[in-house]
Amino acid sequence: MNGGGGSRHILRIIVRASITLLMVAVLNFILFRVIPGDPASLLLGGARVSVTAEQIEAQNQRWGLDRPLFPDQAVDYLSATLRGDFGYSFKFRGRHVADLIAERLPDTIVLVGVAQIMAIVIGVMLGIYAGWRRGGAGDRIATGASLALYSTPAFWLGMILVVIFSTALGWLPGYGAYSPGLITGSLGSFLDYLQHLTLPATAVALGLIGQYVVVARAAMSDVLTEDYMVTARAKGLTNGQMLMRHAFRNAMLPVVTLITLNIGYVVAGAITVEAVFAWPGIGGLTVEALNARDYPVLQGIFLLLGVSIVLANLVADLAYSLLDPRVRQ
Amino acid sequence: MSDNIVRYCPRGRARAIKGFLRQFLSYGGAQVGLVCLVFFLVVGAVPNILAGPLQTAINATGDFLAPPSGEHLLGTDEIGRDVLNLVLHGARISLTIALLATVISLVVGTTIGTTAGYYGGRVDVWLMRLTDFFFVMPSFVLALVITPVVLEVMGRGGEILGFRPSLFVIIVVIGMTSWSFVARIVRSQTLSLKERPFIDRARVAGSSNFGIMVRHILPNLVPQIAANGALVVASAIYVETSLSFLGLGDPLQPSWGTLLSLAQRAGAASAGAWWYLGAPGLCVLTVSLSFVLIGSALDDTFNPRRRVIP
Amino acid sequence: MTSSSQDKTPLLEIDRLSVDYGLKGVSLRAIDGVSFALRAGEAVGLVGESGSGKTTTAMAIAGLLSPNARVSGGQVRYRGNRLPIDDDAAMRPHRWSETSVVFQGAMNALNPVHRIIKQIAEPCMLKLGMSRGEATKRGSELLQLVGIPADRGSAYPHELSGGMRQRVMIAMALACRPSIIIGDEPTTALDVITQAQILNLLGDLRSQLSLALILITHDLSVVAKCCDRVMIMYAGRIVEDGTVAEIFAQPKHPYTRQLIESIPNPASGKKMIRPIPGDPPNLVNRPSGCAFHPRCPSVMGGCATEVPSLNKFGRGRVACHLHRSLTQEDKVAVHA
Repeated sequence: MNGGGGSRHILRIIVRASITLLMVAVLNFILFRVIPGDPASLLLGGARVSVTAEQIEAQNQRWGLDRPLFPDQAVDYLSATLRGDFGYSFKFRGRHVADLIAERLPDTIVLVGVAQIMAIVIGVMLGIYAGWRRGGAGDRIATGASLALYSTPAFWLGMILVVIFSTALGWLPGYGAYSPGLITGSLGSFLDYLQHLTLPATAVALGLIGQYVVVARAAMSDVLTEDYMVTARAKGLTNGQMLMRHAFRNAMLPVVTLITLNIGYVVAGAITVEAVFAWPGIGGLTVEALNARDYPVLQGIFLLLGVSIVLANLVADLAYSLLDPRVRQ
Repeated sequence: MSDNIVRYCPRGRARAIKGFLRQFLSYGGAQVGLVCLVFFLVVGAVPNILAGPLQTAINATGDFLAPPSGEHLLGTDEIGRDVLNLVLHGARISLTIALLATVISLVVGTTIGTTAGYYGGRVDVWLMRLTDFFFVMPSFVLALVITPVVLEVMGRGGEILGFRPSLFVIIVVIGMTSWSFVARIVRSQTLSLKERPFIDRARVAGSSNFGIMVRHILPNLVPQIAANGALVVASAIYVETSLSFLGLGDPLQPSWGTLLSLAQRAGAASAGAWWYLGAPGLCVLTVSLSFVLIGSALDDTFNPRRRVIP
Repeated sequence: MTSSSQDKTPLLEIDRLSVDYGLKGVSLRAIDGVSFALRAGEAVGLVGESGSGKTTTAMAIAGLLSPNARVSGGQVRYRGNRLPIDDDAAMRPHRWSETSVVFQGAMNALNPVHRIIKQIAEPCMLKLGMSRGEATKRGSELLQLVGIPADRGSAYPHELSGGMRQRVMIAMALACRPSIIIGDEPTTALDVITQAQILNLLGDLRSQLSLALILITHDLSVVAKCCDRVMIMYAGRIVEDGTVAEIFAQPKHPYTRQLIESIPNPASGKKMIRPIPGDPPNLVNRPSGCAFHPRCPSVMGGCATEVPSLNKFGRGRVACHLHRSLTQEDKVAVHA
């Protein structure tokens, strides 16, 4: 465990993450230039918005559209992207894409955050239990149910939740995030928000729980077949001591990795769920952008998803090397 | 593993296949999965015989959003089409998209994995960097941004190879973005295979690199490719359903995802039309679960890890 | 064999022990009526091929049978008291305090995510009720005892060589001052020089701490270096039992003879070692009679039908029809 090896490992992880991010940006750049039509008017919203000659001129200047595609335009694009300048939306009358995304991001973060916590608590516990008691009745039920959840699109679960809890029973709202006419900031509006949050968060969580149970169970039953568990048993440890001191931490390695990775993936995964519930987050924005062929917004979202995924991967790699001393070399 | 190397020996191979099938079919999951899969493949092959031609707004026969009845076993949609008819035709579209996308994914993944593993060195480094990118970025996210742009470039009219352009694009995009897992596994298998003596023997005997890869390495990769292929199909179904649900499918050739999208737009959930959104969703669940079960049974068959006696 | 003096009661008695493994409704017998006794401070080798039942015997003694194993007959007595070897919870106080195990290939036998000192100190805390500080101190002493500098205690298993890890395993096995140590192929994955060092270490510690040692191995030469007595197992039964000197000088069972001939011995000048012909026995379809008869060079009438019993022969025991008549003659001689 020398320090040099450790920091070189971390450096390698960071370099790999940067390359992936660069490729996301390059893909964005290429896709953007491939769309037929005048890039300047596309940037300004094409024929859908009336634009002045000065605006087109300003656009041409800003993006250097009169200069060669490579390296000039590519470099300009990359540096603009790095500054957080993703261009203007077609649909939303020339608003900054970055502003639009920033406006929608908090609701998505709340949704996926609550869903993650629900899924971690239920999924990991259930998975550990199933793995510890593998082969038993509880294990079979948990594994069967989680495989089914794992194979089901979360948004469809959301639709079913709406049919049951909103339409049929009338317990919870199944549309939007707020009821009209409530004063923002009041306790009533907060509770209202929580009510609106319940069904979409449950749908996203159900999608994750399947994965967590499957992975935690597999990790647990793998650990139980390891030689060091026999050693622990030979040492005269009780089942509880074996579970807490030897099995749990080792089984947590893949689970923690998956949870961290999902921080990145779940934003994308929640897009369809948000569409079901008209949740005013990134997913709702994606659907609007897709319907209006609002490419700058779509690409801003792609960049956001790319960054969150790459960052989550980075954190997962680092967390793994913290938890498992073998990787640090 | 070492005694499972495939060499040219037809009788031994037949016996190996028989033993494999017996083991594979002993898993309950594999049996359930196969039965469901065969059912949906038959349905997808002959939807016209089972439910007549695909119904449209013009030849729709029922009331609007009518619940299941003797006449319409799965009820009707918002323009009076029979949901059973839609779902049966959807089976054909969904399964075709998923299976073709998987074929593309397996071909690309196997080619890249074998090439990287076999040649090693710089080829390996660059191909693996590319694989890393696709490994990190999920197929759904890439397809979400690539599909609309490609469709904009190609236009949405006409047909390509019998598919509406949007479906064709979805097939290719899913296939081209979901191969990284296969490539990784194939590469690591190739790395260990190429150290085996029979590869040296083939090289000494004058086989070309390509010949060695196709004739000696590829046959030994079949187990890994098959087990992962089943999982790739499951994920392709998931991605296709999600993309179509977001409106990237084609209403003229509706897949299960497109049906769910139509149901969502028609407000089926708030209207309580559970049959309309329930039927295609259950189909997705069943088929996807079948492939997951088959995939994990294949995996268990090829890698028997648990031994009874310590 | 109840005896008046304390010395004569063996430390450990295995009495006609049989263990079955259940496998999809089929049950197969891993060990079949194994009996032997171990005196305090004695070193015994259990030798056989894989599937001979040597590991199952050892795991039964340590109370570490897997859940699909069933004790179908016989018992194990420790200091005269019957051990509840088929009751996992009831065996817990016995484990490590009285009998500890040095497992093979210490890489996976040590938990990869914990520092080695923590793993050595763990049983001291949990079984002897020491505080963390005391336990760590004892751990450091044990490390020094097996020849590892105490400051290496903060290392993780993967940072140590194979020989070092095996030493850590031995230190761990000594933690609760047991009377019996079972070595389960403790030198299998090591090079010859390290192997010799580990065996010497085990031998030294044994005499220093007056431990009884049960060494499980497929390698007779390992037994020759550090055991007093050796038992040869085949297909779940003991086929020969005797002192190391006797067995090497005058092997009685044809299988023992072939095992000895298959040891590569550069000193003897023989170029060729002779592998034992035939396949190891299949426990699902155990050969009738003497399980060794399909591979035996001295097979004769009765070998395929009658199971030879393990009879006293000289100072040892042997289970072979070749020697049955001799034992009867012995008895006759004694009576006469």
